[in-house]
Amino acid sequence: MSETPAAKPAETPQEPGQFGQFLKEHGISSQRLADSSGVETIELEASQLEAAVKLLRSSPEVKLDYLVSVCGVDSQDTFDSVYHLWSYSNANELVIKVRVKKASVPEGSLPSVPSLSRFWNAANWHERETYDFVGIRYYGHPYLRRILNPWDWEGYPLRRDYKQLVDALNDKAPGSFR
Amino acid sequence: MAIELPTTGLKTDEMIINMGPQHPATHGVLRLILTLDGEFVKHTEPVCGHLHRAQEWQGQNRTLFQYQALIDRVDYLSGMFTSWAMARAAELIDGCEISERAEFLRVMVAEMNRISSHLLWLGTYLIDLGAMFGFPFYPFREREKLLDLFEEIAGQRMMFNYIRIGGVMRAPKDDWLKRLEAFTEEFPKRVDEYEAIVTENPIFLKRTKGIGILKKEVAMDYGVTGPTIRASGVPIDLRRTKPYSVYPKLKFDVVGMDKDGDTWDRYICRIREMRQSNEIIKQCLDMLPKEGELLAKKQNAGLRIKAGEGFAAVESPRGTLGCYIISNGSDRAYRFKWRNPSFCNLSVLPELLKNHPIADVMAIFGSIDVILPDVDR
Amino acid sequence: MSEEKAGGANGSINVPDELKDTVTLTTVDRAVEALSELLSPPVSWVANLARSNSVWPLTFGTSCCAIEMMSVGMSKFDISRFGSEVFRGTPRQADLIITAGTITRKMAPALITLYEQLPEPKYVIAMGACTVTGGMFNDSYSVVQGVDRIIPVDVYLPGCPPRPEGILDALLKLQQKIRTESYSERRKRKYKQEAVLYVDYDTGRPVNDLVEEAKLETALALERLKKSRKGESGTSAER
Repeated sequence: MSETPAAKPAETPQEPGQFGQFLKEHGISSQRLADSSGVETIELEASQLEAAVKLLRSSPEVKLDYLVSVCGVDSQDTFDSVYHLWSYSNANELVIKVRVKKASVPEGSLPSVPSLSRFWNAANWHERETYDFVGIRYYGHPYLRRILNPWDWEGYPLRRDYKQLVDALNDKAPGSFR
Repeated sequence: MAIELPTTGLKTDEMIINMGPQHPATHGVLRLILTLDGEFVKHTEPVCGHLHRAQEWQGQNRTLFQYQALIDRVDYLSGMFTSWAMARAAELIDGCEISERAEFLRVMVAEMNRISSHLLWLGTYLIDLGAMFGFPFYPFREREKLLDLFEEIAGQRMMFNYIRIGGVMRAPKDDWLKRLEAFTEEFPKRVDEYEAIVTENPIFLKRTKGIGILKKEVAMDYGVTGPTIRASGVPIDLRRTKPYSVYPKLKFDVVGMDKDGDTWDRYICRIREMRQSNEIIKQCLDMLPKEGELLAKKQNAGLRIKAGEGFAAVESPRGTLGCYIISNGSDRAYRFKWRNPSFCNLSVLPELLKNHPIADVMAIFGSIDVILPDVDR
Repeated sequence: MSEEKAGGANGSINVPDELKDTVTLTTVDRAVEALSELLSPPVSWVANLARSNSVWPLTFGTSCCAIEMMSVGMSKFDISRFGSEVFRGTPRQADLIITAGTITRKMAPALITLYEQLPEPKYVIAMGACTVTGGMFNDSYSVVQGVDRIIPVDVYLPGCPPRPEGILDALLKLQQKIRTESYSERRKRKYKQEAVLYVDYDTGRPVNDLVEEAKLETALALERLKKSRKGESGTSAER
């Protein structure tokens, strides 16, 4: 993730944070990642995501019931699905990352992550957008279809190995910036 | 729901029509595929993406310094807020301190931008409802005064590129501040003019009262933010719930309603927000420090921030505008993600349009205040 | 005898080569043609002046430039004093598209359909850097690099967004262009209608297909005519 290996972004804290501890008490193991500018960031397995979110959402002391955004990232060797959770009633904030290793995805198929659309309708469109840009398939999603690109678009534009389609509508002179 | 009359065998059926990408309602290019049963809308599918310009992709391929100039177009009516969200996220990762003078200037121009965005919303909303050539001249008159002020301080009428990572670009001169003060003195009278024409107007009331009721739980489920949800009884305003910049020092209330809001409530919320922004600008003019550096980071092609990631949000006229940056220490960010309020607010439109006649579609859609580049990036 | 004129001025009767022997123009035809040629410069001067002072645009605003287009319709930079009194909502009643805003690949078919639905004579002002050459989105995968790749453009207006005074300047240049144009030059400009197809009411088939079939039939008829003539002349030469 960093260009020079020596410039590591931030130290990964060793002890689990508040929400990691909470999840551990309820039997879900998570791994703590480097804080994203002061906000606790945890990594969960794809299989534990639904249970963890159900707990975080419904428990009265944590009450992380506001899904702000779902983001897809193509890191060097994983596809990340990043969830930002806030709360309507208190000041809690949490970042959950679900990482699917690229090596574990068979050729010609897409990385699979469970969908959160049965907890929040907000996740519906956000997950469609992530599918459109990075190509993460959310199983359990009611209507997983491209939302911003045309429905028959090929390729996932925000992947690092995306080759742009060049045709009569956007070709350029040989020396131009592309 | 298709029915078949038993006596005559006459069948009715649902009709699918297209409210296509180009329509006289001045809302940009959004396609609505409506399923109608007679006059009543049963199901809607908004097809967005007609204005998808790949701005997140551009964030990966442009340097940070170049990208700051581009993001005003993400939400063109509130360009200050997108710049502010990106600047806040970058400053969070970088850990740089902004002087109080720059913060007050940021708040001042942002609230001016909020007023101009709501004025344009008011004008175009009345055009949608049919008051095509009479009313919109009034809010645009005020908006032109604000745009003149913006042009002096930022150089451009609409795409300001004024709030940068590290502060603001230019300091205002004294007579600019005097002119802004004169504007704030006469603005409440103008808002009274608009309210006199619109708020108690029987045609307007008939078209907006009881139409498009957004329930509190539905709004919270869909992640709606901004005046749309505040009119439905959830007082979420980032300026008060997660305060940033100098908002803790300013006195203002969260504008909202106590019940499930309909279209008229959303209109009232925005009118009140305009007045409130006017008050905030007055307070900022009084409290503006005379000294303070404007830019903490040098703005040139070598603009870099430290490696890390961060998410920061501001309260734009439409809702929570958030920017998530993953940076790896170089002059290009690794990933830019925009959390746009219009994207989430638009997803609640199918719920709002159920069982309303087709004539109400534009009234409800206009009251959510959606800007299409905000949806499509 | 017959006359042939290759294109040229307004109102000339164009007789194709194959039918030279069979077509005779009468005095009435020639009189009408001479009269329309005589009247055409003053008539088209008046017509062009009238047309240029009432160019009605379509409400087509995709993106940020649409806000400046709205501002130009408002009272500070009034566009109706230049003749664009109303912005029509339907393309069938407009004669100008100001493409205000970025055109993406998803939107391109809609724009082509709109352009073809405008009745002739129609004009296009490409407003803003995005529609002139792709603008700041010049490396984006989904933006059409300049709207002149899909529709013909009359006036290019750069700016991001151009000031309302810029839009008025473009409109004035367009009005000057209209005043000095001749209709035959416009007709010669080839624009192949793709999106909007005209359909014959009785048969239900596209008009383009019917026209091509008719051309084929006339070509075949001419072939047969030539063969029969050759047959006649051959036999007469033999005699």
